Amino acid sequence: MSVDSTVDDDRSEHVTADMQDRAPSESEKGPVLLLRNIVGLMVESVRRVTEPEVQRAVGWAVGAVVLAVLTGATLMSMAGYNAGLAYIALVYGAATQVDRVLFYATPLVLTGLSVALAFKCGLFNIGAEGQLYVGSIAATVLGYMFALPIIVHPLACLLFAMLVGGLWALVPGVLKAYRGAHEVVTTMMLSYVAILLTQWMVSRNGPFFEPGQVQPSPQTPLILPSAYLPKLGSPFLHAGLLIAVGAVIVVDYVINGTVLGYEMRAVGLNREAAEYAGINAKKNMAIALTLSGVLAGLAGGTEILGYHHRFRDGWSGGLGWDGITVAVLGNNNPWGVLFGALFFGALKAGGTSMQRVAGVPIEMVSVIEGLIVLFVAAPKLVDWLARSGVQYAVWFREQRPQALPHLMTTTVSLVLGAVGLVIAFTSSTGTIMAFLFMTGAFLALVAFFRLVTLQSDGITLALFASIEWLLGAGTAAATGLVSMAATTSATGLFLLVVALLSLRLERTGVLSSGNGGVP
Amino acid sequence: MMQTGDPTLVLVGWLLHATLQMGTPLVLTALGGMFSERSGVVNIGLEGMMLIGAFSAVAVTYFTGNPWIGVLGAVVAGGLLALVHAVVCVKYKGNHIVSGTGIIFLASGLTTLLLQVIWGAKGYSDTVTQLPRIRIEAIRDVPVIGLAFGELSPIIYMMFVMVAVSWYVMYKTPFGLRVRAAGEDPATLDAAGVNVENIRTVAVVISGCLAGLGGAYLSIGFEAAFGKLMTSGRGFIALAALIFGNWTPLGCLAAGLFFGFLNGLQYALPIVPGLEWLQAYNNFIKMVPYLLVIVALAGIRRSVPPKAIGVPYEKEGRG
Repeated sequence: MSVDSTVDDDRSEHVTADMQDRAPSESEKGPVLLLRNIVGLMVESVRRVTEPEVQRAVGWAVGAVVLAVLTGATLMSMAGYNAGLAYIALVYGAATQVDRVLFYATPLVLTGLSVALAFKCGLFNIGAEGQLYVGSIAATVLGYMFALPIIVHPLACLLFAMLVGGLWALVPGVLKAYRGAHEVVTTMMLSYVAILLTQWMVSRNGPFFEPGQVQPSPQTPLILPSAYLPKLGSPFLHAGLLIAVGAVIVVDYVINGTVLGYEMRAVGLNREAAEYAGINAKKNMAIALTLSGVLAGLAGGTEILGYHHRFRDGWSGGLGWDGITVAVLGNNNPWGVLFGALFFGALKAGGTSMQRVAGVPIEMVSVIEGLIVLFVAAPKLVDWLARSGVQYAVWFREQRPQALPHLMTTTVSLVLGAVGLVIAFTSSTGTIMAFLFMTGAFLALVAFFRLVTLQSDGITLALFASIEWLLGAGTAAATGLVSMAATTSATGLFLLVVALLSLRLERTGVLSSGNGGVP
Repeated sequence: MMQTGDPTLVLVGWLLHATLQMGTPLVLTALGGMFSERSGVVNIGLEGMMLIGAFSAVAVTYFTGNPWIGVLGAVVAGGLLALVHAVVCVKYKGNHIVSGTGIIFLASGLTTLLLQVIWGAKGYSDTVTQLPRIRIEAIRDVPVIGLAFGELSPIIYMMFVMVAVSWYVMYKTPFGLRVRAAGEDPATLDAAGVNVENIRTVAVVISGCLAGLGGAYLSIGFEAAFGKLMTSGRGFIALAALIFGNWTPLGCLAAGLFFGFLNGLQYALPIVPGLEWLQAYNNFIKMVPYLLVIVALAGIRRSVPPKAIGVPYEKEGRG
């Protein structure tokens, strides 16, 4: 408790000081001041990159991505795909189709901001998908039913989308603030209501059904060309990208440069303390969720006006859900969200090349996405891995050259673990060989983790793994796979030798294994 | 299957049958959610655990030829995925909602990926042996009862057993007491010398096993194949049933069967003469469970979640 309050005091002092700094310029009101504030905030964001807190967040995100990519590679190999080729195709695909990357990133920026903004107030908007649907149907209806002049028409559509999206999120916001209904559940449930409602609206029995259509999935008529967002020199890319980048700046300004944002953050950090300081927590929570819905609705509106030009049932395919991933990866910071969205845009754009070149289904992107979210969700795991890695490096520097066999045992365990899984899953299942390599790989991987954390039983495990490996090589030789038997027996033998060597070094006391040998 | 007789009786019988069929996966998954949430871990990943259960049931049945081993595979797979959730939330103190979202992404991606790896098909797996249904010949000719209960999947009977077992475990065993304490007041449980993290981990794994069983019912109890994303939001409806049922086993049973009944109703009503127009408004019947939960949470019917739900338990500093 005491820790909480000190943190809070620090924050409020910091922010008040901030506000006092800005107080003198308050006299030169108007757009100049606003612009100066916004530019100041952008400079501030760049400066903050050097802060350890921000660097930690970036480290977590990068660590999670690396772990997810490695796990994804293992999964792909297990499913019998060429993981290396798949990743090369993915990176190449993303690098050569920047317009597609930006196109995929556009709605993700907005839904990511939506989730992030709510989170700043301590709220989890898990129903951005539904707010996006109601927003997009609102934009579509205004887009095809009413004729308005160009420029005015798209603006009106977007405003309407934002309004409807905001209203859809106002309900859970008010319920949360004044009735204590948990927003995770209510936004999720309203999301399904929105999907069912819009599905009905565009269906044969609904008011916005396109008559005489032959499409299998129900849809509305096309919107009028006057409502289109202009394209940016590519069949995909549209002005929605500029809107999304603008939204990043605006949200950053609202969160970090206004009283409203300050109050929202205060409520998010510690609701009781904020209320004690005279902030109306309930009002702020309702506003935060509503603004979150406004952003999700805007995401739906821009996608319709910029690319789809009509509402088709199920068009989004989870953009709202992806927004959660983006916000999580971006640590709920508006600029972080922008990078997170670009990253996922690249994954989606590269995913199609991956499917074409390496034959890996596009769903692999969803798997990687899930893994990233899980790894980001557990920052302590990334921390722990980083810490043990650093610890190992320090220990190695103290011990060398005696620790060299240990390092080799560790590395070879990891490699054999990964390769063993590949062999086990690519060879015909159910055979003795597959079983031996499977258990051998499992042992090797466990050994790796024990070795890296400097547990002495890691060496013993590596020994067992190498014996399994040699047995596997034997069965390979028996079934006539000569080249495989040769390579696996050679690597197995190598592991056996280095493991025995490090065991001997440890037993004789030359090598003091961190936690194992010395208490 | 079809019986002649008074159409009203046939309809009532059919609705009862549909209620059991549609409600069973919801009740099982909601029961799972109860274990997790009563222990203090929010589990919105139920949808993913159900999905992986449905997939594993079909995959294991496909390779072994025995649907009972398929059911076992589903329970194990659901439990393993839940273990991931438990490791992230309990061991590494991750955010429960974020982790749950990750579980859903992972399960939907993985099952669709493996669907293509194993069967090469885009939408559906090959047909596998369905879990043999239990027929009770004695009651098959009784008007309403026969249609409703004459031929049911064994998982439906298992569901009732699971409700009873869950109730017993939750309220009559030391383990149940510890689960509830972990969700209400973990510090006291810790002071009593019980490892809160272990209790929570076990509870989350149980939730995955039950959700996996619910998924298995969908794929090899109700149907005989796996379809891409075949749970289609049932995990969330189960979550709704859990909340509407006030986090209790009997509440889960009642709410799950009620939502199952609503699901059956949307197919049954348009058949009734004079109500054909309802067909056009099917989606509104589908909305009822979601709206009911919002109403329940808004306080018109009190729902009280466990006190320490969603809060990672940090042991106080040790020497």
